[in-house]
Amino acid sequence: MAVLSLDHVSYTYGEGTPFEIKALDDVSLTVREGSVTGIIGHTGSGKSTMVQLFNGLERPMQGRVLLDGQDIWTEPKKMREIRFRVGLVMQYPEYQLFEETVGADIAFGPRNIGLDEEEVARRVAEAATLVGLPKDLLDRSPFELSGGEKRRAAIAGIMAMKPEILVLDEPAAGLDPRGRDIILNAIRSYGKHTGATVIIVSHSMEDMAAYCDDIVVMAHAKVALSGTRDEVFANAEALTAVGLDVPQITRLALLLRARGVDIPDGIYTVEAATRALRKLFGKGRTV
Amino acid sequence: MREAFIHTKDLCYAYTDENGTRQPVLRGITLDIARGEYVAVLGHNGSGKSTFAKLLNMIIEPESGELVVAGKNLTSEELTEEDFYALRREVGMVFQNPDNQLVATIVEEDVAFGPENLGVPPKEIRARVDAALATVGMTEYARHEPHRLSGGQKQRVAIAGILVMEPTCIILDEATAMLDPAGRKEVIETVEALNREKGITVISITHHMNEAARAERVIVIDDGVVIMDGTPREVFSEPKKLMLAGLDVPQCTSLVHALRAEGVALDGDPVTAEECAELICRALEV
Repeated sequence: MAVLSLDHVSYTYGEGTPFEIKALDDVSLTVREGSVTGIIGHTGSGKSTMVQLFNGLERPMQGRVLLDGQDIWTEPKKMREIRFRVGLVMQYPEYQLFEETVGADIAFGPRNIGLDEEEVARRVAEAATLVGLPKDLLDRSPFELSGGEKRRAAIAGIMAMKPEILVLDEPAAGLDPRGRDIILNAIRSYGKHTGATVIIVSHSMEDMAAYCDDIVVMAHAKVALSGTRDEVFANAEALTAVGLDVPQITRLALLLRARGVDIPDGIYTVEAATRALRKLFGKGRTV
Repeated sequence: MREAFIHTKDLCYAYTDENGTRQPVLRGITLDIARGEYVAVLGHNGSGKSTFAKLLNMIIEPESGELVVAGKNLTSEELTEEDFYALRREVGMVFQNPDNQLVATIVEEDVAFGPENLGVPPKEIRARVDAALATVGMTEYARHEPHRLSGGQKQRVAIAGILVMEPTCIILDEATAMLDPAGRKEVIETVEALNREKGITVISITHHMNEAARAERVIVIDDGVVIMDGTPREVFSEPKKLMLAGLDVPQCTSLVHALRAEGVALDGDPVTAEECAELICRALEV
């Protein structure tokens, strides 16, 4: 599998115009191989630009994007190959479905890689299973699917290319809680199943807390905070300082600590909070 | 009891699919919404909640049942086209995608679009547009191009475009779903102020439990029927029922339920972190 990193990368929109916006300012980071890494930050913090640099849709103005230590821009002619290795699912990917059937749409990517029909069919079936699309939907028009199903079909189309690095920009935006869980679970199991690195961009701290191993927090075109999930959420104050919401349960833990309750650091799931408080209530206080 | 602004009884809606089969979406909705209420409507994708919203200003027509909005019986045969227009002036809708509802190239022209179409005198349009932009906090963007605004700003412009029609009710159909937390906050605070200060009835269709927790009343629709209807506290006190409907509850509510299941004596069903901290501190006697 592959290691993706950014080495002193800067990117500016509308350079030299009155609308000049610095999207990334000297950013360096390495995404841990095989991890599920979350990138969070406000709108305008540079996260979507970062994602487009990852697979060469944008070219850094300074610095390098490295895949297995190799600058992806040394041979721009080979970019096609890079894009097979780093698969990008954009925001609202369901707007990009275009084939007559769901199956044909998922097959589009693997077919473009040049795989034989047998392998293409196998990949389509595998990806559909991974995202939980029933077989009978594969022969239907994408327009007959529900919003959540369309989203899953679009993601399956990228998974079927078996990228070593799967990058998703807001994969759960606009879905209901059940749809969100189905998609995030499918994405996690793609990583587990193939050993690939998964990078998820999101606004939702609660989703990040539940699904990511590592987290990168972007603010004002720079990395404000990064590390394992535990390390990042132990810094709840720093997160609040860059204007991000911490999960409600983390906010509760902070409120309790401020009032003198002896609750440990790094509470970001309901399960962890339940365990910690169960102990505190432990002796003699329960019914 | 406040005056009912919306009254429905056994309201049904169905569409016919390509094979000619009737597909029911709403299977009998009976409820009253009072003038000035702030109601959140929850339900998973496909539950029928957006269909319900679209019936309220006759974007679609009901199949059967009673539907009275702002004193008008919308199922009456005698309804004229003029009545529909009047209804849509009274009940404005904000949709999910901020990019799909702005039509003009300048913010203030977009806001003026509605009254211009009604032939409102220019002077009055000017006054209404200025007032509406001030209400949503977008005055300084009056001459900006909509496509350069953030998602939250676009939605506030869309709300201003409804306010100039002087509505009594605003329906938000997942209007915050595509926004980031900051944008979501802008929109919710704008709408809450309209409800509080101008008494505008607000019906907000949403997937965000924390947003619903701020409403006065929460209605849960599942499979085309109302399965829960009450204060956020009452509704969120039944996490199992919500999970079965494909929804979840605020994290603090599930924490209290989990602790209670393990034998910790806690009474009350907090929905916010502050309420929950209060409850736990009281129980721990700190």
